Amino acid sequence: MIESAFVAGLVRVLFVCIIITAVYIISARNLLSIVSVYAVQSLTLVVIALLLYLLEGAPVLIAIAAITFASKVLIIPYFIATIQEKIRIKRDIQFHFLSPTSSLFVSMGLMLLVYIVLERVMAATGDRDNLFFFGAVLGISLMLMGMMVTFSRKRALTKILGFLSMENGVLLFGLFVTELPFIIEFLIVIDLIILVLLTTILTVGLDSTLEDYHKRLHRFHLWEDEVEVR
Amino acid sequence: MIILIFAILSALTLAGILLSRNHRQMNTVCIAQSVTFALMACWILLAGQLPVYRISIGSPYFFIDHLGLYEVLISTLIFTCAALYARGYVAGLLDSGELEKGSLRLFYIAWAVLLAVLVLAFFSDNLALFWIFAELTTIISAILVAILSARDNIDAAIKYIFIASTSMLFSFVGFIFLFETSRVVTGTGTLNWTELLLAAHAFPPIMATAAFVLVFIGFAAKSGIFPFHTWLPEAHAKAPSAVSAILSGVLLNVGIYGIIRTYAIVNQAGAGSTASFLLALFGVLTIGIAAFSMIPQKNLKKLIAFSSVENMGIILVGLAVATPVAIFWVLFHIMAHSLTKASLFFSAGILHRQYKSPLSSEAVDDIRDVFVYQPLAAWGIIIGGLAIIGMPPFPIFVSKVFIMLQLGTASPLVLGTVLVLLFIAAVAFGYFIITMFRKRSRPGRDTDLVPYRTPVSMKVPIIVLLFILLVAGIVFTTGEVSFIQSIITELKFT
Repeated sequence: MIESAFVAGLVRVLFVCIIITAVYIISARNLLSIVSVYAVQSLTLVVIALLLYLLEGAPVLIAIAAITFASKVLIIPYFIATIQEKIRIKRDIQFHFLSPTSSLFVSMGLMLLVYIVLERVMAATGDRDNLFFFGAVLGISLMLMGMMVTFSRKRALTKILGFLSMENGVLLFGLFVTELPFIIEFLIVIDLIILVLLTTILTVGLDSTLEDYHKRLHRFHLWEDEVEVR
Repeated sequence: MIILIFAILSALTLAGILLSRNHRQMNTVCIAQSVTFALMACWILLAGQLPVYRISIGSPYFFIDHLGLYEVLISTLIFTCAALYARGYVAGLLDSGELEKGSLRLFYIAWAVLLAVLVLAFFSDNLALFWIFAELTTIISAILVAILSARDNIDAAIKYIFIASTSMLFSFVGFIFLFETSRVVTGTGTLNWTELLLAAHAFPPIMATAAFVLVFIGFAAKSGIFPFHTWLPEAHAKAPSAVSAILSGVLLNVGIYGIIRTYAIVNQAGAGSTASFLLALFGVLTIGIAAFSMIPQKNLKKLIAFSSVENMGIILVGLAVATPVAIFWVLFHIMAHSLTKASLFFSAGILHRQYKSPLSSEAVDDIRDVFVYQPLAAWGIIIGGLAIIGMPPFPIFVSKVFIMLQLGTASPLVLGTVLVLLFIAAVAFGYFIITMFRKRSRPGRDTDLVPYRTPVSMKVPIIVLLFILLVAGIVFTTGEVSFIQSIITELKFT
C-alpha cells in the first residue's frame, strides 16, 4: 500500500506539470506541437484521477480517467491533427491583444489573484488546506489561461485548443468533487466532442474561400450530397 | 414517464425527417412535433398538480415546476409559429439558392433536436444537467446559424459558440462551488435544484456570492448581456429569420432561466444584495449599450437584435429589485418579449425576401415602397415595433410600467437613468421605421422590384402572434395571474 502523503505529494508535482503545459500552449507557435501538448495535459489529468482513486477509492474516478483518456488523449487530438494536416496550417504566429511574453505575465498575475480570492472565499468552508483547494486554484487558473489563448490567437483552430484547455481546467476542479454523478461527466464529454467536431468543420470553412469550402468538405467526407431533395 | 413521452416523440420526429423526401414533408413533421409538444405542455398544465416530481416523471434528474412549464409553454408556442413560418420561408431560401438542398435535412434535424433539448433543459431538476442541455442548445442553434454556408454566417456561428461556450464553463465552475457548499452544509453534496433551495438558508453568503458571480458570467453570455453581447446582433441578424425568431424568443430565455434559478438560491442564502447589485449594474449597462447601438443602425434585423439585448437588460434590472411584484412582471416581460420579438423577426423575414437584402449584418436595407409591395409585413413591423418599445395596449407596456415603478421604490437614480436609455432606444427604433418606410422608388431607376408573393404560411404566424399579444395586453385571467404567482412562491421570493 502506498502512503497517502506520498500520493498527495505526487498530485502536487503533477499540478506543476499541468502549469508547464498551459504555459506552452500560451506561448507556442507550432500548431502540431500545441495539439500534442494538449494530449499530454489531458494525460496528466488522467494520472491525477488515478492517483486520487488511490487516495479516496471512489470508483467513479476510474471511469472519469477512462473516458478522459479515450476522448481527450486519443480521439480529439487525433481529429484536430488530421484536420490540421488537411487544411495545411502549420503555424499560428498572429496574436491579437497580447504577445506571448505579456500573456505569461498576465497569467502569473491571474494565478495569484485566483489564489487570494479563493483563500478568502473558501475560508468559510474550512477546505483550505487540502487538495481540493489547490485543485480549485489550479483549475480556475488553467481556465483563465485557456481563455487567454482563445481570445489572443487568431486562428480558429488554436482558439479551439484554448477552449479545450479551459475545459481541462474545469475537469481538474471537478476531479476533487468526486460525488458529482458520473452521468454528468459523461454528458460533458459528449458535449465537448460535438463542439469540437462542429467548430473544426466550420473552421475548414473559415480558413478557405467559400467556393473551396464545399469541395473540401467533400474531400474529407464530412459532407455527403443528399439524393435530390425537395 | 413524461420525459420518456417527449423523448419518444422526438425520436419519431427524427425518423420522420429522415424518411421525408422533400421540404414540405420535413416541415410538416416539424410542425407536428411542435404542436404535439405544445399540447403535451397544455395537458401537463391542465391535468397535473404542479410541481411534478420524480415518480411520474420517471427520473430523479427531472421535474416539472411552474417556471419550467411556463418556459416550455412559451417555447413550444414560438416553435409552432416558427415551424409554420419556415414552410414558406425556407422554400424561398431554397429557390434563391441561399440554402443548399444538401443542407436541408441537417437544418430540420437540428431544428427538431433543438426543441427536444430545450424541453429537457427546462425540465431538469439538476443544475449540472441543465447546464449541459443549455450548452447543447448553443451548439445546435449555431448549426442553424451556420447552415446558410455563407462566410458571414460561419463567422457569426463561430463567434457565438466561442463566446457562449467559454463563458458557460465559468457557470459550471459556479455549480461545482454550489455543490461543494451543499456538501459542507448538508453532508451530502447535491446539485438538485429543489434540494439546494431547501438547504440554501444555511449556505455561507460568501460562497453563494462567489458561485453566483461565476454562474452569472456564463448565463449572461448566453442571454446577450453586456459585455458578452457582441455575438448576439451578428448571429441574430445573419441567421435565417425563422431561426432568428427562435434565437431571440426562446434561446435568450435559457440564459435568463439559469440566472433566475441561481438567483433564487443565492437570495435564500442571504447574499441577495450583492447579487442584486451585480444584476442592476449589468442590466443598466446592457440597456445603455443596446440603446446607443440602435441609433446608427441601417439594418432592420440588427436593430431588432439590439432591441433583444435591451430587453434582456430590462429583465436583469427587474430581477435586481427582487420584490414579488417585480419578479411577477419580469416573468410576464419574458413572455411578452418572446412573442413580440418572434413576430418582428417574422415580418423582417418577409421584407428580406422582398428586397433581397444580403443576410450580412453590415448591409444597409434597401427598403422602398414597402406599403405597396408588402403591406402586411410593414404593418407587422410597425405594430410589433410599437409593442416592443412599450406602447399600450401591448403587454410590454404593462410589464415595463410595473418594473419601472418597482425600480423607482428601490432606487430613483437608477430609474431615471434607465428611463432615459429606454427613451433613446424607442426613438432609435421609431426613427429607423419612419425613415425606411417612407422611401419611394425613383421613377425610371428603381424598377427592378418584383413583388414577392408571400405564402400564407408566412403571414399566419405574424397575425396569430400579434393577436395573442393584443389579448395578453388587455385581458389578465385569474388563472394566468395565479400561475405566475406560484412560480414566485416556488422560487421563494417573498
